[in-house]
Amino acid sequence: MAFLEISCISKTFGTGSSARHVLDGVSLSIDRGEFVSIVGFTGCGKSTFLNIVSGLLMADAGDVRFGGERATGVRDDAAIVFQNYSLLPWFSALENVRLAVAAAFPAWPPARQTAQARAYLQKVGLGNAVDRRPSQLSGGMRQRVAIARAFSTEPDVLFLDEPFGALDALTRGNLQQELARLCSDLDRPVTTIMITNNVDEALLLSDRIVPMTRAPRAKLGTPVPVEMPRPRNAADLTHNEVAMRVRSHVIEALTAEVRLKPDTTYKTEVVSRFSRTRSDVPCPAPFRSN
Amino acid sequence: MYLLQPFEKRGEMDQGIARLAYYSLVRVAKGFFVGIALATPLGLLLGMSRTLNRMFDPVIQILRPISPLAWLPLGLVVFQKSEPAAMFAIAICSMWPTVINSAAGVRAIPQDYWNVAKVLRLSPFTTFTKIVIPATLPYIFTGYRLSLGIAWLVIVASEMLTGTPGVGGFLWQEYNSLVYAHILLAILTIGLIGFALDRLMGMAEARFRTA
Repeated sequence: MAFLEISCISKTFGTGSSARHVLDGVSLSIDRGEFVSIVGFTGCGKSTFLNIVSGLLMADAGDVRFGGERATGVRDDAAIVFQNYSLLPWFSALENVRLAVAAAFPAWPPARQTAQARAYLQKVGLGNAVDRRPSQLSGGMRQRVAIARAFSTEPDVLFLDEPFGALDALTRGNLQQELARLCSDLDRPVTTIMITNNVDEALLLSDRIVPMTRAPRAKLGTPVPVEMPRPRNAADLTHNEVAMRVRSHVIEALTAEVRLKPDTTYKTEVVSRFSRTRSDVPCPAPFRSN
Repeated sequence: MYLLQPFEKRGEMDQGIARLAYYSLVRVAKGFFVGIALATPLGLLLGMSRTLNRMFDPVIQILRPISPLAWLPLGLVVFQKSEPAAMFAIAICSMWPTVINSAAGVRAIPQDYWNVAKVLRLSPFTTFTKIVIPATLPYIFTGYRLSLGIAWLVIVASEMLTGTPGVGGFLWQEYNSLVYAHILLAILTIGLIGFALDRLMGMAEARFRTA
């Protein structure tokens, strides 16, 4: 059994005629230490999916199991990086990270907690901006703080919710590279799920890429393995043969479904050659709210 | 005479304007601090619990529009003395803006911050001190500012009714002795002090405004 088993998750927002069936029977299994990216269009339910897996949101049906154990709420050993940084504006960068360290390692003496926070800020290249408040930092630097905050708790499971979504293209490229380095520098396996709408970003970082069809009733397509050594380099990926194959694979999976999808009367059958092969996962009684 | 010798004390009600204003300010301060000491925790509590908020909202909306003139007799009956009665009237009239604002402040905390608290698994105490309080402070201070304005309004009414020394008492006494210039002096003093208080609270508010 895989380390992380997500089975048949469904989620509907609202009720009656205004109900939006965002996810409908989504399943995925992830091994320990694996880096999986979920790629999909904006608003396709990716973030909802991640919020459920990370325990921030309750699913209407289905469950999430870590090592066979059913998850309730946010796990002790999980960390999340949000798209909008979610730093506390009244604290400096150091205090923001320190708050996470103090919560994760309450037994440590304060000096050690501060040292840990400082060390991780150093790792993301913010060694001399530790005392600045988020409002005095650029978007890229804020996200670095958020990444330092996530890594400083030494998590076993890492959730990245479009971590570079709010950044400009150049900063984005830089930070992707650094995240790739941070992830491969780790001395222990960290299971990571990243949500992104950028296939190249997924290529750079992941072991597997999972395309996600659009809401309503979003489903996951067949995972596409990325068989390349890590850490990878963005420049090499542009012309790498494996990368090109995976990229076209994923893009085809995403666009095929869009082309064939009639706009509103969208049924549960997802018309994509990838998701069709995924029917080997039977979900109990498809979720219907009315 | 009142204006030229502001710190003179000639008799119980016959004192310099600055002395009278000082008495009023002390009274307002006492009532105001009692008021916000009760209102702030109550507001935060109402902000955090939807059920409590639904329970108490009608009560607040009923108590809020009651005039200070209506509270004062009740205070006099309960406390038997004019000083605590005035404090009671000030406290109970001025607390509502703080209650309502701090509750609104807690409710306005973005979901992001709650998510941070959940993800970092902060204890309820840490969540309260590190997230709820800093996020709500600007709202709380807006509440304080409004509350102080009301407290200052109430003082005049309560001094008039109880006849205690202070700007309001002075105003009423001068009306009874038909010295119209002094009435205007009292009104002007009340206005200027109210303005100064508001500015002071505004400065405090700006200081605690977080990005």
